[in-house]
Amino acid sequence: MTAQQLAFFVLAFVAVASALGVILFRNAVYSMLSLIVNLLSLALFFLSLQAIFVATIQVLIYAGAVMVLFLFVVTMLAPEADTNVSGSDRLRWQWVATAGLAVILAGGLILAVANGAVAQDAKAAGPNSLAAQVTKVGNVQAFGLALFHGFSFPFEVTSVLLVIAVMGAVVLSRRFSGRERE
Amino acid sequence: MPLNAYLIVGALLFTIGAAGVLVRRNPLVMFMSIELMLNAVNLSFMAFAHFLDSVDGWMFVFLVLTVAAAEVVVGLAIIVAIFRTRREIDVDELNTLKG
Repeated sequence: MTAQQLAFFVLAFVAVASALGVILFRNAVYSMLSLIVNLLSLALFFLSLQAIFVATIQVLIYAGAVMVLFLFVVTMLAPEADTNVSGSDRLRWQWVATAGLAVILAGGLILAVANGAVAQDAKAAGPNSLAAQVTKVGNVQAFGLALFHGFSFPFEVTSVLLVIAVMGAVVLSRRFSGRERE
Repeated sequence: MPLNAYLIVGALLFTIGAAGVLVRRNPLVMFMSIELMLNAVNLSFMAFAHFLDSVDGWMFVFLVLTVAAAEVVVGLAIIVAIFRTRREIDVDELNTLKG
């Protein structure tokens, strides 16, 4: 139990520190690497919540595929993008105002969490509960059963969304040769 | 660990992401801050899924992941297109679309 608590606090510290690194590093590549550390620490959080499959896709898809795409664009654009130090004094009062707003937002959220309580009848029980399904058929199978039975329509809509995103990226990133013809 | 511990970590991560969107001028870093916020909410979903013993939280995390991937693809394509035409991506300079 103590080891579990220690792991939680270390993970929470790493997650918050790397999140701060994302917004505080001047170089966008360092922000990027800090974000990858944050995503990996969240994957470890998911593991500690016994969600093996979701932790795996968090590492594979998010920290892997999406972040590699991000890193390509950042290394392509960043060297010129973040070298202007002249904007720092213009942003000074905005940093102060944002710190104040962030304290208010975090305080409000934590107050809401501390005052709220989960109703006891909100917990699933019996053969439909997550723990029962995981012990019966396993972690990945429980995920797949829920995805293809209860959530099959959102899953299909997801495929349409991904096709639209791919087509949008292709259209946006091709060079417009029509303008040269004019 | 109790449910509230996970929710408080999620709240802190969400706040940091929101602050990042407000203070940074580089759209790439603003995108990373949006990813931070999405992931903070994912952590809350996973914590609720575990403590309410329901699989729905996992499904929502899966769908949020797909939407985040689509958003990153389209957003980065837009940023690259802007960079090609203007050679700069400071958000303060991109004000030609204002009404």
